[in-house]
Amino acid sequence: MEMVLTLRQTVEDHITQLTTRPQQQDGQAIREQEALLGRLLFQIVSFLPAVAQSFQPPCTSTDSRGDVGGGQPVQTSRQTGQMFYQESDFENTVISYDLSNRGIDISALYHLSFRDYNTYQGNKYHKDKNTLGYINLGTSENKLCTDLLAERLSQSDMTYIDEDLLQYTDWRGQPFLRKEVARFLTFYCKTPEFLDPENVVILNGCPAVFSALAMVLCDPGEAFLVPTPSYGGFAFSTHLYSKVKLIPVHLESQVTEANGYPFQLTVDKLEQALLGAKIEGKKVRGLVLINPQNPLGDVYSQDSMMEYLEFAKKYNLHVIVDEMYMLSVFDEAITFHSVLSMKSLPDPNKTHVIWGTSKDFCISGFRFGALYTHNREVASAMSSFGYLHSISGIAQYKLHQLLQDREWIDNIYLPSYHFRLQEAHRYVTRKLKALKVPFLNRGSGLYVWINLKQYLDPCTFEEELLLHRRFLDHKLILSPGKTFMCKEPGWFRLIFAARPHLLRIAMRRFQQGLVEHKQERRVKQLEDATKEEVSTSQPETPASPALRKS
Amino acid sequence: MSTLLQKESRMTTACPGSDSIQGLPGNKGDGLERKCSRKPDQKPLKSYGVGDPTAMFSSGSPYLSSRGSVIKWFWDSAEEGYRTYHMDEYDEDENPSGIINLGTSENKLCFDLLSRRVSPSAPLSGIPSSEGLSSWDSLEYSPRRAGCLPRLPRPWSQEAPLCPGDHLSQSDMLQVEPSLLQYPDWRGHLFLREEVARFLSFYCRSPAPLKPENMVVLNGCASLFSALATVLCEAGEAFLIPAPYYGAITQHVYLYGNVRLVSVYLDSEVTGLETRPFQLTVEKLEMALQGANSEGVKVKGLILINPQNPLGDVYSPAELQGYLEFAKRHELHVMVDEVYMLSVFEESVGYRSVLSLERLPDPQRTHVMWATSKDFGMSGLRFGTLYTENRDVATAVASLCRYHGLSGLTQYQMAQLLRDRDWINQVYLPENHARLKAAHTYVSEDLRALGIPFVSRGAGFFIWVDLRKYLPEATFEEEVLLWRRFLENKVLLSFGKAFECKEPGWFRLVFSDKTHRLRLGMQRVRQVLEGQPQVAEDTPPRQIQEPRGPHR
Repeated sequence: MEMVLTLRQTVEDHITQLTTRPQQQDGQAIREQEALLGRLLFQIVSFLPAVAQSFQPPCTSTDSRGDVGGGQPVQTSRQTGQMFYQESDFENTVISYDLSNRGIDISALYHLSFRDYNTYQGNKYHKDKNTLGYINLGTSENKLCTDLLAERLSQSDMTYIDEDLLQYTDWRGQPFLRKEVARFLTFYCKTPEFLDPENVVILNGCPAVFSALAMVLCDPGEAFLVPTPSYGGFAFSTHLYSKVKLIPVHLESQVTEANGYPFQLTVDKLEQALLGAKIEGKKVRGLVLINPQNPLGDVYSQDSMMEYLEFAKKYNLHVIVDEMYMLSVFDEAITFHSVLSMKSLPDPNKTHVIWGTSKDFCISGFRFGALYTHNREVASAMSSFGYLHSISGIAQYKLHQLLQDREWIDNIYLPSYHFRLQEAHRYVTRKLKALKVPFLNRGSGLYVWINLKQYLDPCTFEEELLLHRRFLDHKLILSPGKTFMCKEPGWFRLIFAARPHLLRIAMRRFQQGLVEHKQERRVKQLEDATKEEVSTSQPETPASPALRKS
Repeated sequence: MSTLLQKESRMTTACPGSDSIQGLPGNKGDGLERKCSRKPDQKPLKSYGVGDPTAMFSSGSPYLSSRGSVIKWFWDSAEEGYRTYHMDEYDEDENPSGIINLGTSENKLCFDLLSRRVSPSAPLSGIPSSEGLSSWDSLEYSPRRAGCLPRLPRPWSQEAPLCPGDHLSQSDMLQVEPSLLQYPDWRGHLFLREEVARFLSFYCRSPAPLKPENMVVLNGCASLFSALATVLCEAGEAFLIPAPYYGAITQHVYLYGNVRLVSVYLDSEVTGLETRPFQLTVEKLEMALQGANSEGVKVKGLILINPQNPLGDVYSPAELQGYLEFAKRHELHVMVDEVYMLSVFEESVGYRSVLSLERLPDPQRTHVMWATSKDFGMSGLRFGTLYTENRDVATAVASLCRYHGLSGLTQYQMAQLLRDRDWINQVYLPENHARLKAAHTYVSEDLRALGIPFVSRGAGFFIWVDLRKYLPEATFEEEVLLWRRFLENKVLLSFGKAFECKEPGWFRLVFSDKTHRLRLGMQRVRQVLEGQPQVAEDTPPRQIQEPRGPHR
């Protein structure tokens, strides 16, 4: 177990290092290191099930495998055990040399990045069938309006089918859908001119769009700047296929002269990060902005956005603007300005906008993402990926029907959606206030960015992880700040786009987790103090905290 | 689609005669380029060729990365012919002088059946189904033999017949469960993987039931090639593939994976112990592997397409076994693309899936792909599946599925479709095979009347046509010129170069289209050929078509 945990730590550090810290070594060394770690991880993953098989019943020994399979411990519970039994069953007991190094790397990174998600998938909360299951407030998935969407998608206009929908089509997306997306974005982004369907490329989801963009804009080893904390999926996407580096532009929570509000992005910080990267010999090709920001919930003002774009132009950088949450601004006092609404873009040929329906329309399972770019070369190169990231013609038709139904969107869907977001946000923030948990009070997105520093002692990422596991003990999944490359330990993203019933239970578990964490911490401090006083027999530590500490 | 025209710019690129090989970007020493400057008298021909996509383009871009420029080249090259076709697509009423597409391998014969199965509102939406049916009826193929699918394997598992006769109500397709709208299991929803496992166990006649855990479902075989290339090879490594082959695979394995293909060149000429043209032998595989190794190219696997595209060839179990043993000897992965597995319309062919073999030589390195694009005429639906006993490979491919997922609603519809064995066995497959056969008969008779040799064995949607005698010179430039003349006469074919065929003058002709279009298309083909002097008259036209010869 010791060995396993050490390995875990190494791997995690390595991944963090890969994604956050500038590299001194050359690419080859990194790859070798990755490969080595990947191999090690796989060997242990493969080895443990074989060992575990010899125990009866298998469940008792499975959490150790869970640890390894996930790369990070998920606490002891029968369900978790069973879940991970299946999970590790998916691996083979024979050590495999069949995969390439990058194949091993991909598998390992996937396990590290999606362990919580897999935990949840294997043991979901259900109000009748599985009340002890996990509640997932970690994955940014919108579950507030699935009823409305399910109803809309069941209407008779959705079932149309014709020959073109079943045949090969334009790999950039069906012309009718590209046209509709252009119209849709023209309207909701309030563009000064009509958007051109020829500038739209449609792929199966925003990760695919981002992944393909990274391929066509960067060569392996080149980099994007990304203000952090930032959506962790980018790090995953760039590492998996395109081998593009992300250089974090670290933002700070403290309000100072240079920092008008917490985590403010300024050109000064962008320039510093760029300079740092250049000194290290990194080739920076672009800047990634998320607006509305994930996980902060910030919406950039027009002026700030213009400054960022001017900065990019000055240094000849592409700007990828992810506007995934553009219709999820629920506070009426806030006006969202799409980058497409600008009268004149500083560098239109290097400004690329991503939007999809996963968040704004509650249909993450639909797999739809769109790129809008004025740059035809980029659009053409992206289109090559149409094969690999294609969407069913039937789904494209349904999306078209959905997006063209403005009456439904404006009069039924968006008002209900925003109202529900407001309600859920109000409920969660009230709870947080009652618990004296500081948070960023913003009016967009599906999440609040909360500060649990007071529960960390010392304030380290290790402690952050312990707190995260505490929530897992209570069958609650939150995303720790480290997954967003946040520089300061103790921040968490909490998704509130869930139904009231679920949210209530989740917040109860949240509270229980915090209380327990605080108590055990106090007990431990007392024990330590006692230990120092009386250097005689040591009281036996309970199993689970011991495991967590090791 | 890009297969139909992997741009002629490749052919027109200047070809340094150097035999220096592979490696550095920009090095043009790949098989393609050398071939294009080859004169017929230059011998001997290489038995293999290492592909290098970076050699095919030159211009950089201020906006794109260098790999981005290569990637863009793929799109531009595919788009040229495609654009020509789409700007001037044939339509019986609105554009009768438009281009007829006999280049893209799509099954356009059964849309009427499918639309009725997939969508209840389909009959209202103006399907040209009755037209399709009646015109084929006029060709006097035997009417559907519902309920008696020949040579159907006996199921190993008892599948409860699902609501017989109910398939026309189709209300089963309309389900919109909220869970279908959420993030799924990235390997594919379990209900679908279970259904696919049952389906393939049955139709591939696997000796033991296939396991859903060994399945990964994603949006088409293109994605599978991409993911497999990425997780099995390092950048710059290679797969062997017998050529001619479905050319788009080059792009699939290159885009993300940066993996190359080593062509194992097959000959039209039957020599030695061979029994048919373009026969793949273990000897040829060995030679190509050796050749690639000697050039320092690391080969990690072998791609087999069975039934083959564009040859329409079907490997016998003994042949398959031989190839698999070869791969095992050299520790190569074998990717078997069985995307035309249910499109074997000639009963005598006796197709066998690799999954039906009693004992695979190296099950941990054998990976099977299937999709509904061809067999169910739904290339636009984007559904493909991998079956592999190797859990590491399955896991690694699944790790990439986030980028290749398909909509939950589509997954649901897919499961419903595959579950409906009654409809598949009694309605769809018999009808589909009968229509394919009728269309095939029509085209092959036309070709025979023209005295044009061809290869075709009764599987797939295409005939591999030998037009070498119409090339004034045996070069790929001439091949493209002939292809252009077809296009000018408003019929689109695919030329052999797009399939990495080493002999200029071969074309793939897709016959799975409606009668009136096919008739018109063939008429246009004939016009071109009749206006084209036959320059190679000295070589007597060999009849290499072999419908049901001694070796089937």
